Amino acid sequence: MKASRIRTFAAAAALLAVIGAAAGCQRAGTPAAASDPRDEAARLQRTNAQLQKQIELAAGKEFYLVLDPATSGLTLMLKGAPLQRFTVRGLQVGHPRVAWASARDPRHVQSVIWSGGELDPPRQIDRLVIRSAGPGKEASESTPPPIPPTPEELYPVPSRYHVRFADGLSVEILPREADASVGRWAHARAAMAEQWGDIRSALRTSDRDAIRLRITLDPKDAQSFYRSLPPAVRLIVLDGEVEPAQPAPAELGDGR
Amino acid sequence: MEPSPSLPAGSAQAAAASGPDAAERRSPAGPQAAPGRTPRAGRGVWFNRRTVAVTAGALLLVAVLLRGTGYRYEPYAEQPLAVASDVPSDARPLEQFTARLRSRQRALGARLDALMPKGVYIVIDQTQNRLYLKRGDGTLLQAVCSTGSGMVLRESGGKKREWVFDSPRGRFEVRSMSRNPVWHKPDWAFVEESQPIPTNPADRLDYGTLGEYALYFGDGFMIHGTLYERLLGRAVSHGCVRVGRDDLRKVWANARVGTQIFIY
Repeated sequence: MKASRIRTFAAAAALLAVIGAAAGCQRAGTPAAASDPRDEAARLQRTNAQLQKQIELAAGKEFYLVLDPATSGLTLMLKGAPLQRFTVRGLQVGHPRVAWASARDPRHVQSVIWSGGELDPPRQIDRLVIRSAGPGKEASESTPPPIPPTPEELYPVPSRYHVRFADGLSVEILPREADASVGRWAHARAAMAEQWGDIRSALRTSDRDAIRLRITLDPKDAQSFYRSLPPAVRLIVLDGEVEPAQPAPAELGDGR
Repeated sequence: MEPSPSLPAGSAQAAAASGPDAAERRSPAGPQAAPGRTPRAGRGVWFNRRTVAVTAGALLLVAVLLRGTGYRYEPYAEQPLAVASDVPSDARPLEQFTARLRSRQRALGARLDALMPKGVYIVIDQTQNRLYLKRGDGTLLQAVCSTGSGMVLRESGGKKREWVFDSPRGRFEVRSMSRNPVWHKPDWAFVEESQPIPTNPADRLDYGTLGEYALYFGDGFMIHGTLYERLLGRAVSHGCVRVGRDDLRKVWANARVGTQIFIY
């Protein structure tokens, strides 16, 4: 009698435990089930808005950049065709501040198509002008034409540079490692010049970099990007977080 | 008390009227203006110390303020998800709403895919003088090429024309392809060599300069071979894209009339 009573109690307890667990699961699941579909709908809305923008870019005549944080890729594109892809090693967002007071722009880099991107400092070409001697006349000198420079000789790349877009976005390109060929003094001078440039830009009330997107590339990619970027480029930043495999932000700079 | 040589008589009298301490305080000549008293050597130093302290404080303040001026960087974070007001909250309408969004996503994805080039396409980086043969995201061939030199040619006599030898930028497509192409030399080729422009079209024909193949993509521009392979990788052409013999054969084998060419 005693043993059967114990068995009955044990069975009842087990049944209660199962019911309790099931109820608990349901309680835990109910809010998630209620919130997830709305979040999913919101995410779909955002994805569709971005697809719409990508279609707009692909249908246009301008070159454009697609920054995809999820795949760590920065791709130069035209008419939907990927032309050149650069691997993004780090991504940070910078906001101006004046005397420790934040002057943060409320816009998010993801929400718009940024247009009119131009290199700063600009890539310049010195055009050689040749004047013909006229028919029947000998050319001024019989010296052979000089061998033209290579792209590396023709376009020296600054250690850091920007692509400045209309409406206040600036993409700052930063090589991943310091250039070993440059001395410490040159580095210090460059850093001071950069700091001073930042201060001047932040103090400007108009025409300043309202948002900065700092992209870290491998040194070769950073140079290639500078040499190859077409004028008046557009930019879109896709959904997604930066992959965790990338270097921590602390490795990328001093937090400024 | 004799008046200080540096002070007018009136001021010395006024100083005498207020006592020696006052005269000492007011006299700009300092302690030396009050004979018979021990000079207070600390006065001038005190003033200098104050100036230095104020200047140092001001500089420190400016430094602190400048330190807090510039740009503050933080790790990139995705834009927070915000549920719009048009998203229904009831289960059934929400399900239908989400289904519509999914369907739209598929349609938009298909539209975007349709804009991508189909099959093989050619990409030319004219700054770095590289030609890529691509299919989708994959690269079938990477070749060194030569693009426009950017030189300007000015005609001295005649019509005083000017030519800029840039490669075009944008999207093009192969309009025609020819084996053993013959170059129909334009006017600038004669002007550049200081030769008279021929009136007979046959005199413009140049054999062998363009290599084995040429792929025309409009406005007199083409991808072709070169006699000067040692200059590949440098911007030396008059706007055409010069490719080495072996690479040109691969391009020829993969390209068709209609193949898209992207030059940037």
